[in-house]
Amino acid sequence: MAAPLHDVAYVAAGGPQPLPSLVSTRKLRSQRLGRTLRLWIPAGFLILLLAMCFLWPLVYQLPSPTNGNIIQAQEAPFSPGHLLGTDQVGVDIFSQIVYGGRVAFEISVAVTLIGMAIGSLIGITAGFFGGWVDAVLSRVLDILIAFPALVLALAIAEGLGPSEFHVILALSAFSIPVFGRVTRGATLVVRELPFMVAARLAGTRRWRVIVRHVLPNIMPGVLSFSLLGLGIVIIIEGALDFLGYGIPPPSASWGSMIANGQQIMTARPEYVLIPSIFLLITVVALNMLGDALRERWGVQ
Amino acid sequence: MTESLLEVDELRVGFAVGGRELRAVDSISFSVNPGATLAIIGESGSGKTVSCRAIMGLLPAGTAITGSARLRGSELIGLSDSEMRKHRGSDMAMVFQDPARSLNPTMKIGIQITEAITTHRKVSKREAQTQAVELLRLVRIPAAERRFHEYPHQLSGGMRQRVMIAMALACRPKLLIADEATTALDVTTQAQIMELLLELQQELDMALILISHDLGLAASYADEVIVMYAGKIVEQAPAAALFGRDGSVRMRYTRALLDAIPHMERPAHSALPVVGGRPPDMTALPVGCSFAPRCGSAADDCVAKSPALIEHAPGHRWACWHPCENGVHS
Amino acid sequence: MALVQQIQLQGGAGARGSARRLAGSPALRLVGRRLLAAIPVLLGVTFLTFAVFNTLPNDTAQAILGLSASPGAVAALNHQLGLDQPFFVQYWHWLSGVLHGNLGTSVQGESVNHELATHLPVTLELLAYALVVSLLLAIIVAVLAARKPNGIVDRTQLAISMLGLSAAPYALAFVLIVIFAVKLQWFPVISGSVGDTPLSFLKAMTLPACAIGFPLFAIYTRLLRGDLVEQMQREDYIVTAKAKGVPPWRVLIRHALRNSMFTLITVVGLNLGTLVGAVAIIETVFTVPGIGQDLLTGISNRDVPLIEGIVLVFALMTVLGNLLADLMYAVLDPRIRYGSSTT
Repeated sequence: MAAPLHDVAYVAAGGPQPLPSLVSTRKLRSQRLGRTLRLWIPAGFLILLLAMCFLWPLVYQLPSPTNGNIIQAQEAPFSPGHLLGTDQVGVDIFSQIVYGGRVAFEISVAVTLIGMAIGSLIGITAGFFGGWVDAVLSRVLDILIAFPALVLALAIAEGLGPSEFHVILALSAFSIPVFGRVTRGATLVVRELPFMVAARLAGTRRWRVIVRHVLPNIMPGVLSFSLLGLGIVIIIEGALDFLGYGIPPPSASWGSMIANGQQIMTARPEYVLIPSIFLLITVVALNMLGDALRERWGVQ
Repeated sequence: MTESLLEVDELRVGFAVGGRELRAVDSISFSVNPGATLAIIGESGSGKTVSCRAIMGLLPAGTAITGSARLRGSELIGLSDSEMRKHRGSDMAMVFQDPARSLNPTMKIGIQITEAITTHRKVSKREAQTQAVELLRLVRIPAAERRFHEYPHQLSGGMRQRVMIAMALACRPKLLIADEATTALDVTTQAQIMELLLELQQELDMALILISHDLGLAASYADEVIVMYAGKIVEQAPAAALFGRDGSVRMRYTRALLDAIPHMERPAHSALPVVGGRPPDMTALPVGCSFAPRCGSAADDCVAKSPALIEHAPGHRWACWHPCENGVHS
Repeated sequence: MALVQQIQLQGGAGARGSARRLAGSPALRLVGRRLLAAIPVLLGVTFLTFAVFNTLPNDTAQAILGLSASPGAVAALNHQLGLDQPFFVQYWHWLSGVLHGNLGTSVQGESVNHELATHLPVTLELLAYALVVSLLLAIIVAVLAARKPNGIVDRTQLAISMLGLSAAPYALAFVLIVIFAVKLQWFPVISGSVGDTPLSFLKAMTLPACAIGFPLFAIYTRLLRGDLVEQMQREDYIVTAKAKGVPPWRVLIRHALRNSMFTLITVVGLNLGTLVGAVAIIETVFTVPGIGQDLLTGISNRDVPLIEGIVLVFALMTVLGNLLADLMYAVLDPRIRYGSSTT
């Protein structure tokens, strides 16, 4: 608790007296602790999740996420051999979560990396060079962003047939312009900083300026944004799976789990709820991590 | 003996900065008589603004304030915010430095003035509007009726400051604190605003506290002067005792400030005696006199022990081990 | 906002009098320019849609007639629908149709205009419901939270907003259905038609509006609360208001909130375009008869005219949303509306 606002303490004549303790070291330590927790709890959770999805199957043999024994349908959680039970066709739920998680991470990381790489290229070019280059590139970015990502993704899946690669392609078409806009904005801000102007005036070659000055300064913002982006891509990818245009069945994915669970929702709501919850806490962890990093790196 | 309007006694203000305490104001005491003008002079960080904001109750929560400040006998320090609000804007008011930022850009100035009125008095909207227009006339803004409906950005800097003054005077306060009220204005406008303040002071029989870094301002307009440094009062005297033909400035810091004012009579191309060094780090003040690191005449006892503020001459207090000797300012 | 700076750089309006000022103001002129700049975007988006659907291997006629149809019948239908012409030509046909107000005919034989006319209002109602409620709630919660930063309300709001930001609309939809439609039976599971009475509207639309609105609420609340707290702590005019003796609630609402509304409205406008995906999915899950659902059926039928029509509508919404954001500044911010007059 902070010291009371006004503390009436008549100071008797004779010597200065210390002011009431303003901020205890305890409060400061708890503030610092809070900040550390906000970073490491989501980070730790994500690490655990990644371990679960990628490492667990290597250690323990999981039942197939795609083929199920109809006899074992609708088993309850914690029954032998099925940690979270089975769905209505007998496929193990836990392994669907695990393998679905794999897919979610693979796709979202791939899409985000592509978006960061290509999008940053476009964005930095537009923001740094300005002029007609910026005008043209911005117009292109505007069009791409105004274009509904879903339509594109669905069209590609419809036309080329559903596959993991096509999903990555489609979502990259959405992720690139978004990163482009973000990096362009960040570059514009950095460009006007005094040291940047000084570097340009000193005649430093432009690509050098970009690599040594622009990039390091926009990186924190771009990186913390990409965590947010990861979450968004996971959600959109799930949407594609849910609609049936994403990973082709019978592959496991969280979105298709939700779609399958929809039919039996009234009787067995957990088939919808379990993948939804995993989806939720994964994205929450990513967002919290992004926030914590932004706090630590002092980005706006 | 007239009862003083404002009596401040051993006021102390501290903030928490990075786990350490910043003693912004360290035990200052002064009083202001009704209708008088007090000037508080100091650099940035000297504590002049913080002390007045403490009196007004405008410091953020979590600030430790001790001591006493009595306005017409009622104690202000220790009041709850709702009690404080009865005084703020009605008995005592404040005008701030940058009128461009101190006025809400999306509100008509007339409404900002009527807000000052209706917060403290129960009057109809129409009545408040009439009073507001009157106030605009009082601060010599031409075409007051029209100006009522305008926005701050449509006015010049000087006009905006007049609006700030009008807002402050809405309830005819007995004490007006002007915190660097003219610093952000150009020289001509400065003089106009100061003239206005003095006229209004006469008309409304108001006490005025001028906060500034400009010693010249104090010399021209103040009855009594307080010089602050590093949160303490280092010299305190009636203006006549400091300036003018019989005046003598004692404390080294005040002397340095005075010498740093450029005058027309100075020989051409002579170096201006500025005060060297930088303002002190308030979280790590030296043991002895706070000004010693920058003082040209610092001696061993200055560094070792902090001088107390003592009334060495009638009405004239200073805190210095080796004050200037009867220096008359040039 | 770029528009704001451009207007301020260009200086104030010349004439006195608000009516004349507005007409000759730099605000309107720039808005007009923005509208013109939006046209290439609209053209680009619709052209791109055509391009995508025509370069990807697909066969609309085949989809309609089924896999067992004879190649002759497929070719005939393709010719009838004009699908065997190069897509530049098709686009040109479509475009000229649009300029005459005719959005073409869907491959199912219905007029796209008619489809939109019946289904667009439903989507607009759904969006309006979601937006209005989430905005109102966001304002209330943000103000309560900003009153005491890091207090109980603030920290609760932080947690709820985090959930809202991270929730996938379809997952959220099912959670809502399970809780409110299945267990509590307050709402029907399937919306079907909207009905005529306000009550039937609410029954049908509330859950879908929540699914769309909860993430929006999270975004708005976060933004507004941050802006309010920033103002209360940093702005000088807040200190002035306090110095006048104005009570804290009034300072927050009358001074800080007033200024924060600009940022909020801007974000609402900019956000409009991103709602396409959410709308489409939510309408499908709740079977709301709006254009979102039409879009998805259109895609599975490769119904290009229908898709184009809907894409055009959504792109228009994006553009208008951006424009609205800029317009809010131009019209509401007195610094721009009244320019600066000399004294």
